[in-house]
Amino acid sequence: MSETGLLNLITSDEEAVRNRDLAVWVDAKGYEEVLAGCAELDAFRRNESNLYRRVRALFLLHALYRYHLPRFPELPEEGKIPFETVDHLLKRRFEESIDACLAAVEQTGLTDPVASALAVVYQRLAFQSLADQVRKSVRSVRGNQWMFRLGHPLDQTLRVRPELINPDGLGPFPILRERTPVRMDLTHSGWSDIFFLGMDFPEGARVINVSVDLGVRGRDQAPRAPVEVNLRVLDEPVLRLASVDLGVQADITSLSEVYDFAKDYLGLLKAAVISAGLIPPGMEGSGQKLEDLLAQMVGSGRGLEVVSHVNGIPKGSRLAVSTNLLASLIAACMRATGQTESLTGPLTPSERRVVASRAILGEWLGGSGGGWQDSGGVWPGIKLIEGAEAHEGDPEFGISRGRLLPEHRILDRKDVPEESRKRLMESLILVHGGMASNVGPILEMVTEKYLLRSGQEWNARLHAMDLVDEVLEALREGDIRRLGDITTRNFRGPLQEIIPWATNHYTEQLIAAMEARFGNHFWGFWMLGGMSGGGMGFMVDPTIREEAMDALQEIMLERKTSLQHALPFAMDPVVYDFAINEQGTVAELHTGGEALMPVPYYGQMLPHWVRTDPRDLPSARRAELEVLAEVSRQNSAFAELAPSLFHQLLPTDTGSSDSLTPLKDLLEDIGFDPLQQEDVRAKLQAGQLGLSQNRLPATTVIEDVQPGDVTTSKALPQEAEAIGWDALRKGEVGVITLAAGTGSRWTQGAGVVKGLHPFCKLGGRHRSFLEVHLAKSRKIGLEAGTPLPHVFTTSYLTDGPIRTALSEAENFLYEGPVHLSKGSAVGVRMIPMLRDLAFFWEEMPQQLLDEQAQKMKESLHAALKHWAMEAGEGTDYTDNLAMQCLHPVGHWFEVPNLLRNGVLADLLDERPQLRWFMLHNIDTTGADVNPACLGHHIQSGHHLTYEVISRQIQDSGGGLGRVNGRVQLVEGLALPREDLDVEMRFYNSNTTWIDLDALLTLFELKRTDLRDMEAVSAAIRRVGARLPTYITLKDVKKRWGHGQEDVFPVSQYEKLWTDMTALPDVNCGFLHVDRLRGQQLKDPAQLDGWVRDGSAAYVESLCRFT
Amino acid sequence: MHIERAVITAAGKGQGGLPLQTLVDTDGETRSALEIVLREAADAGIQQVALVVRPSDEAAYREASGGCADMLHFVHQSEPLGYGHALFQARDFTGDAPFLHLVSDHLYVTGTEKGCAKQLVEVAAANDCAVSAVQATRETNLSLYGTVGGMKVPGRDGWYEVECVREKPTPTQAEQELVVPGLRAGHYLCFFGLHVLTPGVMACLEESLEAAEHPKTISLSTALHTLAGREKYLACEIIGERQNIGIPYGLFYAQLARALHGVDRDTVLADMVTLLASSGGDR
Repeated sequence: MSETGLLNLITSDEEAVRNRDLAVWVDAKGYEEVLAGCAELDAFRRNESNLYRRVRALFLLHALYRYHLPRFPELPEEGKIPFETVDHLLKRRFEESIDACLAAVEQTGLTDPVASALAVVYQRLAFQSLADQVRKSVRSVRGNQWMFRLGHPLDQTLRVRPELINPDGLGPFPILRERTPVRMDLTHSGWSDIFFLGMDFPEGARVINVSVDLGVRGRDQAPRAPVEVNLRVLDEPVLRLASVDLGVQADITSLSEVYDFAKDYLGLLKAAVISAGLIPPGMEGSGQKLEDLLAQMVGSGRGLEVVSHVNGIPKGSRLAVSTNLLASLIAACMRATGQTESLTGPLTPSERRVVASRAILGEWLGGSGGGWQDSGGVWPGIKLIEGAEAHEGDPEFGISRGRLLPEHRILDRKDVPEESRKRLMESLILVHGGMASNVGPILEMVTEKYLLRSGQEWNARLHAMDLVDEVLEALREGDIRRLGDITTRNFRGPLQEIIPWATNHYTEQLIAAMEARFGNHFWGFWMLGGMSGGGMGFMVDPTIREEAMDALQEIMLERKTSLQHALPFAMDPVVYDFAINEQGTVAELHTGGEALMPVPYYGQMLPHWVRTDPRDLPSARRAELEVLAEVSRQNSAFAELAPSLFHQLLPTDTGSSDSLTPLKDLLEDIGFDPLQQEDVRAKLQAGQLGLSQNRLPATTVIEDVQPGDVTTSKALPQEAEAIGWDALRKGEVGVITLAAGTGSRWTQGAGVVKGLHPFCKLGGRHRSFLEVHLAKSRKIGLEAGTPLPHVFTTSYLTDGPIRTALSEAENFLYEGPVHLSKGSAVGVRMIPMLRDLAFFWEEMPQQLLDEQAQKMKESLHAALKHWAMEAGEGTDYTDNLAMQCLHPVGHWFEVPNLLRNGVLADLLDERPQLRWFMLHNIDTTGADVNPACLGHHIQSGHHLTYEVISRQIQDSGGGLGRVNGRVQLVEGLALPREDLDVEMRFYNSNTTWIDLDALLTLFELKRTDLRDMEAVSAAIRRVGARLPTYITLKDVKKRWGHGQEDVFPVSQYEKLWTDMTALPDVNCGFLHVDRLRGQQLKDPAQLDGWVRDGSAAYVESLCRFT
Repeated sequence: MHIERAVITAAGKGQGGLPLQTLVDTDGETRSALEIVLREAADAGIQQVALVVRPSDEAAYREASGGCADMLHFVHQSEPLGYGHALFQARDFTGDAPFLHLVSDHLYVTGTEKGCAKQLVEVAAANDCAVSAVQATRETNLSLYGTVGGMKVPGRDGWYEVECVREKPTPTQAEQELVVPGLRAGHYLCFFGLHVLTPGVMACLEESLEAAEHPKTISLSTALHTLAGREKYLACEIIGERQNIGIPYGLFYAQLARALHGVDRDTVLADMVTLLASSGGDR
């Protein structure tokens, strides 16, 4: 019996009660009652055996601590998060982490920081519980279990079928070729193909999924099943894996290498041979020999070769290329070892299900995961895939309502007549918009919102379920125009009601352009997969399809070009030719003169073979070469191999000096200081600089601040506000927005300009950070009657794009002066030192990941260390686009740059009365020129006033403390011990109020010196030399191939603005401001919570948009 | 059900010489493997045996049958068309009567006073239906045997109602179709080489032969799977051991098993200990 009524949301027999919105319950309760509800939920989830009830309780707890309790004024704003909580959280000991928090609550009562910690830990535990269940289910699917028991080569019962073994030892071995289409979904009913949803709410899990052949328009002659896998026996005891698309191959000779997924680009192929049972998961760590296992399966001295090819279909197509490739690989491996009835032709329905379940297993092994519909290409034609209830005998029975694997019903010609299929193909244009996107956070948001049953999202889900029936009806009737209308309504309605981030500025612009261009002939938009921007569909009147395809190609390219600095694009957009595939995955056996691999394979392998002494070539390869020679004479595709072979054998010199030219030019343009770079490099290589050297001495005493060290903005007197308004009216105030950095975390090193990112719909449409900051300045300026001068600091990377964007948008019609302050300080990124990598990964606190993902991470770390060693520790990082090789040298330089580049002098010429500046980070969206804060700064007489916020658990990396007795901000990099981080209750927002004249005095300058560049430069050097230089590791993305991306850690050096507080002659003050004002948006995954907790509305209230 | 007839198949590829091998039987007498199988059948009450052989092997088998020659009726399989086909050749011999079926390359050592075949015949007689002897076998050996899936017969230890039969399944197929509640994980009920079959199985074999594509090789398991869908068909765990003399060291293990269960047990054990003690010194 629930005393607070909260448990009824989980346990009630009435569906309507179970589906009730948590907010409705909270609205009727007081603070103490909500706390009692939390206690009740926590006790409930500890004793509840049913997984989904437990997980719902965890998500409700997360929502209460994250969104509801912070709204009560009774919740104290200041407090400390116990270090044990953070420590346990990093090590994934979630229960212990919760207990540490609750023990603190027991002692001191709940505070906002502790509530933030509880919210995070409950959420993580919930996701962990769900992931554990999927893992368990994947392993316990019948047909997969044996693979986890098999631990010795002699126990391997699979044998390669005799048809694949060359009976007479002459000629090449036969090749088994599997061709598999990819899948697109007409609707996924609000991401209902997420495993957790299907397992909890099988009746709501409904997807219409179509197998399609693809070709890139203008490149391929006709669409074909894009995924191709070739498998054959080798007369060498190795497992040879090759990816033709990525141009990599490996001869694997040890079992441990098979399980090392991140070592190279062959992780997917490795996951396939494991999950197909050839090298079963149970063999991992057995210490047995791969050679023995291969001998057992194929015969002594023999091996296997598996080659994948996806016909250059780019990554991020939202067509589940990688899952279907995995499924295709698994199908080929299963056929080859007698696990299917037939070696060739289509698969039986039950075999398709085994392939699908093993593809899920393979994805889990590889540390990734999609939806359960993703291997849809294995099935033919158009399918309705629905969640299935778990019954007695199913491994899920008694644990979840639904099964892990759904039911596939292939829609026949009654469901979707031939004419409808034809019309669909004549109307739909499939494209890849080119954007790189990470769907992972979206899937987590969907899961959380589903389990919370929040009103709007839940209704949207029910609506999305109904749309499936409408889609089916439109298909039955062949009414493609209506279909276009339904998919558009789905995109505009339920999808964005559940996840507003399903759309983005680029997609909106494409849709608008198509509407404008084709009017009534544009029938609708169709979001493929998890989010838009990558793979998308546009439905048009068949009579204009060709024209629309051309137009769309142009529109996408033009929009991409204009937005490429604002949004992360992985490649140029492409339009596909496509056709519905009515066969599903199919295999053929090629023997004798036809037993050849795809042409590009030979381009990749021949140079190695030609360099081998003919006497060392295995007989099958000699035979293959003979066949190849013969075929090359007759087949033009193979004939083209010869010139490329010469090219590869004698590569033309495209060596390092050429590839460096753009970088050298760029450095010259920027005015790069090579002496400074060499100085840093020498110190880095000598061990004088480095991650461990960033730290303050271990003897440094760092304590939390004391009463009186910090002023609270809530307690500021009315008088302060009046002083602030007065300064505003007099035009004494300006704003400096730091926009020189690249926002590494925002796009994981994609090198776009964060300030230009249209990150959220505010005031009715997507707005960039730049526009939001100007809108805040506009509002204050209008209210004061004097427009504020607004300065954006820029760097080599951000200056051009920001300048162009502001010019195109006419400064977003901002009434006041807008200046760009271009920074000239730049560094060249360096290959990290091994000791820094080791320090970062092994000494610094790192988030432990889920079992398989952690294995992937460790394997990747080993590969990256190898890369750093090979590339040369401490040398310049040049193997990327020139822009990606440079870095700004820290935000400290952005203020001196104003002095150096004359922007401050210009400003003072324009407005000599300027006395005060507010400086803030580009992502501190809530910071505005608040008159009270400004007035306080003026009143206080401080040279600099830094705004700080109460630390929540996500605010890691330094804070405000007493360092050997002096109140100052400490960077996380400089903390000698990890536990000191949470010791400090206040976290730096980096918003700083500056007394201009005091700052100039610090630099030993007067206003009149600002045109004397020599004096300015000398002053900057003087102050700069007093500040520490930090070495940091940043992620940088390298793009290659068809939408492929690699992320490398690189070293760079920085001086930070925060360290001004450490200078004894700088009089600093610290102002504790509200979180809404001081928080920063570092990661797009924060956005959803930012909207839900009222932060977005707060920012909107500060803005006046035009 | 009264069972007087048996069919032994011995025409398989590479099987020709196996039943002619000689072993020292449990009573210390030297006998051919064929004679040992025939005695197993006779012990179960069988009076007449059809031996399916290649035509050229008849003379050798007749000679190897020892004192059981009178029971024998030779049936020829002229073409090597598989196990199911071999058994089907005996359809005139079995007629409308149920019969015991043994394979000539398996020998048995019972774990009780009753012989293995006798145990099976008694279960069949009691239930009046087809029964196959089975043994719980680890999944790593699935590639050697026909395997059944089904449910336990309530109240009867070791009796199972057969629902599905697969010939040499992969572990994947076994896990999906042949899991039997109550067995250890990764263990399946595999054939023991002994069956009591009803005339219905000959009809199933005939249908399989007609449906089979060229070459018309069919397995007994396919026919038994069909049989399970048509009439009551049980599997029974026999108390005893089987030795397949057709696999490497099979004959050796069969001999060892018979020696350790026979009158010469002590002598053989002593000799083995001596052998063990004196071997391996150099390794």
